[in-house]
Amino acid sequence: MATDVLVPPLGQTVDTVTLVTWYKREGEAVTQGEKLYAIETDKATLDIEAPASGILRHIAAQPGQKVRVLSPIARILAPGEEAEAVPAPTPPAAAPAGAPVPPTPAPAPAAKPPTTPPAGRIFISPRARRLAEEHNVPWQTLQGTGPQGAIVERDVRAYLQSQAAVKAPPVTTGPAITPPTIAVMQTIPLEGPRAVIAQRMLESRQTTAPVTLMSEADATALVELRRQFHEAGIPVSYNDIFLYIAGRALRQFPRLNASLEGETIRLWDEVHIGLAVDTERGLLVPVVRDVDRKRLADIARETQRLIERARAGQLTPEEMSGGTFTITNLGMYDVDAFTPIIHLPQCAVLGIGRIVERPAVFQGMIAVRHRVWLSLTFDHRLIDGAPAAQFLQRIIQWVEMPHLLLI
Amino acid sequence: MALMTIAEALRQAIREEMRRDPRVFCIGEDIGIPGGFGGAFTVTLGLSEEFGHERILDTPISETGLIGVAIGAAMAGLRPIADVQYGDFLFCAMDQIANQAAKMTYMSGGTVKVPLVLRAPVGATGRGAQHAQSLEAFFTHIPGLKVVAPATAYDAKGLLKSAVRDDNPVIIFEHKLLYGSKGPRAERGALSPVGEVPEEEYLVPIGKGIIRREGKDVTIVGKLLTVYRALEAAEQLAKEGIEAEVIDPRTLVPLDKELILDSVRKTGRLVIVEEDNYTGGWGADVAAMVAAEAFFWLDAPIVRVSAPDTPPPFSPPMEQFYVPSAERVVQAVKSIL
Repeated sequence: MATDVLVPPLGQTVDTVTLVTWYKREGEAVTQGEKLYAIETDKATLDIEAPASGILRHIAAQPGQKVRVLSPIARILAPGEEAEAVPAPTPPAAAPAGAPVPPTPAPAPAAKPPTTPPAGRIFISPRARRLAEEHNVPWQTLQGTGPQGAIVERDVRAYLQSQAAVKAPPVTTGPAITPPTIAVMQTIPLEGPRAVIAQRMLESRQTTAPVTLMSEADATALVELRRQFHEAGIPVSYNDIFLYIAGRALRQFPRLNASLEGETIRLWDEVHIGLAVDTERGLLVPVVRDVDRKRLADIARETQRLIERARAGQLTPEEMSGGTFTITNLGMYDVDAFTPIIHLPQCAVLGIGRIVERPAVFQGMIAVRHRVWLSLTFDHRLIDGAPAAQFLQRIIQWVEMPHLLLI
Repeated sequence: MALMTIAEALRQAIREEMRRDPRVFCIGEDIGIPGGFGGAFTVTLGLSEEFGHERILDTPISETGLIGVAIGAAMAGLRPIADVQYGDFLFCAMDQIANQAAKMTYMSGGTVKVPLVLRAPVGATGRGAQHAQSLEAFFTHIPGLKVVAPATAYDAKGLLKSAVRDDNPVIIFEHKLLYGSKGPRAERGALSPVGEVPEEEYLVPIGKGIIRREGKDVTIVGKLLTVYRALEAAEQLAKEGIEAEVIDPRTLVPLDKELILDSVRKTGRLVIVEEDNYTGGWGADVAAMVAAEAFFWLDAPIVRVSAPDTPPPFSPPMEQFYVPSAERVVQAVKSIL
């Protein structure tokens, strides 16, 4: 085994000494304890003994040279042994001012922390999480690149940058994409309600896991019911009846009357349903409160009032906030089925198609029936497909057999 | 401006304060004897020639005695600068410091002041476990003491002058490898930073830290010698495109918390480097403070680089392993990037 020949420390204040002479030559045999070389300090000349027995090799300092204490200046090897050469001792004058003297020994390898979080856990730094929540970033979906696989600030920033790239695609000058020959009729700045709608829709699309279920229901009984209300002088719209049905169904399926906030799903104990209303200013969604506890006539009065205020541009922010579910109806435009977008932070939205007469199988016969398509979009993060489908089944049941609501 | 070592800057500070105020005097072991070193590290060298042995007062080898005398003199209206040859010897006088000096003002309802300055060399320099400790945490823990730790000649002079004028007991920790002591008192491996010191009157306020290097990726807090290890590490990291901010708090009590917090709010990462043992070290308190007050700004765990939980070893290679190196600081930074 190789033994380094180290210049011994000489007192507490001596940094460097001068090598005076070697008493042995390169390749010569030495015995532990015999004189090997001499050094000189500012006070004295000293003989230094061989630290081991063997063959003197790799002499790295010559007489007259200044050497640092504790630096290796040769090796003593077993006969026949090979070892790497001793690096030439650094002359003190060449060391940068302020450098520590002896070479720094390699630190003991520290126990490495695991590079990924334990299964089922997401590590995110407080800084990254604060940033993510400020910008509504769905950080649960990010891949962490920080210590222990944690999501760190740069991961959130990378996501935000990628989103910015989506929102504002780089301007291309290629004529194929923006031919200068297309005449612009009008430029409309994205501002006001349009800007709010744009932001909300994009946010919903990007931060939820939307699934849309579509089912066709027999609305013949519903149409008959509404006709009878009108005959009785009670002005009730289909929207009012759907609000009434959805309010009661949500009572039975609270998972759809919910919001996801951070890592918490809140099931609301109140049912407030927003009703999408098309106006000249764009889409507005006034909210009918406590739908599950209101009588149909009360719902009808309330929707009529809200729709009038919406069209007149008189809705207050309070009248448009606090919804826990939304209904949107495109039936008047002859739409059957569509894929409504969730109104955040809600869990689901019900889209209602046109009620139209169609041939259908009824009591074993082909008959002309009133039919309606219902489209339920739900956020799959909060609820699975099967319970969402059961909710839709319940609505269809009450559409087809509204008398069951009397129970 | 004059270029000075820390030992020279301290000496000039003492000289100026003694000329300014006849109540100021020095007391210690072998600080003014003819032919002596001028204290263990030459700080008081030559002062007895100007001020005489009445004001550069040598005592027998009894830290309890000399610090007790200094505290009594301070309570009676003088402004003593007491020093011990090695900070490790402060333990001998622990009752005088912790029970008397630190508490008198509180216990007297503010009617008794203890304007004591206590200088103490710290740091491992090849002298074994009883002459090598970093003692800062023992004293930052005691309410009633101010604790300063200058790492440059400018700060050494400015802080010592502030300490002399402060009505509270102030301990100054000085690192042996930073003094720049010459001749037989030169320490092996010393960094001996030489810095510009103004000739005109100036003070460095107690309680204000300083940013030694600006960066945006990680904050490294060091004190005394580890400020220089942190700067070396920052230099290495810069070659890899990592920009480290290096903070020297200069005063440990009261700590310039906002300087550290502002930096962490910027960088999101904190590495604390000190030569003290890990458990209960001063850096543990800084880490706890930042975790409590800037948690939501942190982007990675706080990492501490310190000596292990053993006494400083005498063997020089072991001592080199024991004290934090720039390389360990670099590794610590990389572990949280």
